[in-house]
Amino acid sequence: MHSLELTVNGRSYQTTVTLKTTLLEVLRDKLFITSPKVGCNSGDCGTCSVLIDDKLVRSCITNALSTQGKEITTVEGLSKPGHLHPLQEAFHEKYGAQCGFCTPGMILAAKALLDENPKPSRKDVREALSGNLCRCAGYGKIVDSVMAAAEQMGQAKN
Amino acid sequence: MAEGQFLKATDLQEACELLAQYGGKARLLAGGTDLMVAVNQRKLFPEVLVYLGDSGLNYINAEGDNLVIGAATPFTDIMRSDRVQEETPLLAEVISHLASPAIRNVGTIGGNLANGSPAADSATALLALGASLRLRSKTGEREVAVEEFFTGPGETMLEPAELVQEIIIPRQIGGAKWAYRKLGKRKAQTLSIVSVAISCPLEGGQCQGVRIALGAVAPTPILATEAARILEGKAMDAKLIDKAAKAAAEATRPIDDVRGSAWYRRRATEALVKQLLAQISA
Repeated sequence: MHSLELTVNGRSYQTTVTLKTTLLEVLRDKLFITSPKVGCNSGDCGTCSVLIDDKLVRSCITNALSTQGKEITTVEGLSKPGHLHPLQEAFHEKYGAQCGFCTPGMILAAKALLDENPKPSRKDVREALSGNLCRCAGYGKIVDSVMAAAEQMGQAKN
Repeated sequence: MAEGQFLKATDLQEACELLAQYGGKARLLAGGTDLMVAVNQRKLFPEVLVYLGDSGLNYINAEGDNLVIGAATPFTDIMRSDRVQEETPLLAEVISHLASPAIRNVGTIGGNLANGSPAADSATALLALGASLRLRSKTGEREVAVEEFFTGPGETMLEPAELVQEIIIPRQIGGAKWAYRKLGKRKAQTLSIVSVAISCPLEGGQCQGVRIALGAVAPTPILATEAARILEGKAMDAKLIDKAAKAAAEATRPIDDVRGSAWYRRRATEALVKQLLAQISA
């Protein structure tokens, strides 16, 4: 076994992994952080998406040992107690979640977009979320939610 | 169960030395977007992983007439580089259709090539741009044209202790006409059924050094050399474009698979080449 140290949502963790362990397995099975889901396990569906040093990645095909010392963000890290992140708020208000399985990945893909581009067009949003599949096919309301969050965050800034 | 070794290469030389030491046992890991899929699917049981993420192979430099890209440069960095957008816009365009944002953030151009997929999207761009690869091992280096690099599905000319160091692309200063189209089952996060990349420097209305690259229609990404020969030194018209498109379709050796039939791939190649040449000559 190899020792792995990483930071998730601002908290440091130490665990042990093998050469084959993925970041998703570390998060779910070792640290019990379960918002990233196991979907295709081959990088296609996007429900395991997390941020590593603020960059959107697939945790299911990220070798755990390559995240040594890195900062990981999952949906659990977005909200403060009693206060949802504007994206979470917007997904709730605009019915952006149907069954909810893709939602953590959608929200993180949207966060990665808004960090770089606070005023996206609907096309920008669709492109940013293009690697995240929603099997309920609720894409319209998901894009609505991200647009609403962008507007809300823009107003909060001014 | 064997524990396996995870070795971080801090520079190119160390990566080469580790490969020499462990030979065929070692696998290179960069973004892992191909390798970890194989591990998850239990097709690959690596004993030694040599990690290239901190090896300094992430760079985009201009060297004389060439753009030189480090093999471990992630696709997002390449796609967003001003230099790439200005001097090899075809490459930036191709990458924007490759996989999805999260994959492009970590997937590297060297990994995409070394994986040897017949549908490797970056390969069609590099073939059309006349790029070459610098391969490096502990004992030496060699430069090979991209069209020589691929030897079969999932196979390349890389020796067990050799790696792709960098990609060398002639800068298209002053511009060249180009066009690209990828057919997949959907727009994003999809493997190509057929992809065509064409680079066509035009001089005085004539094609000079046209290159037509085809992806996912043969055991490796290929150049349609006969089609290019038909166009070379000529002014394009509808008849010539038809002839070149037919020649391109004849250069394919497609297979039937879950994404499309050989029949469809051959027909689609002809249609795409025709469409893209018309776009270039317009």
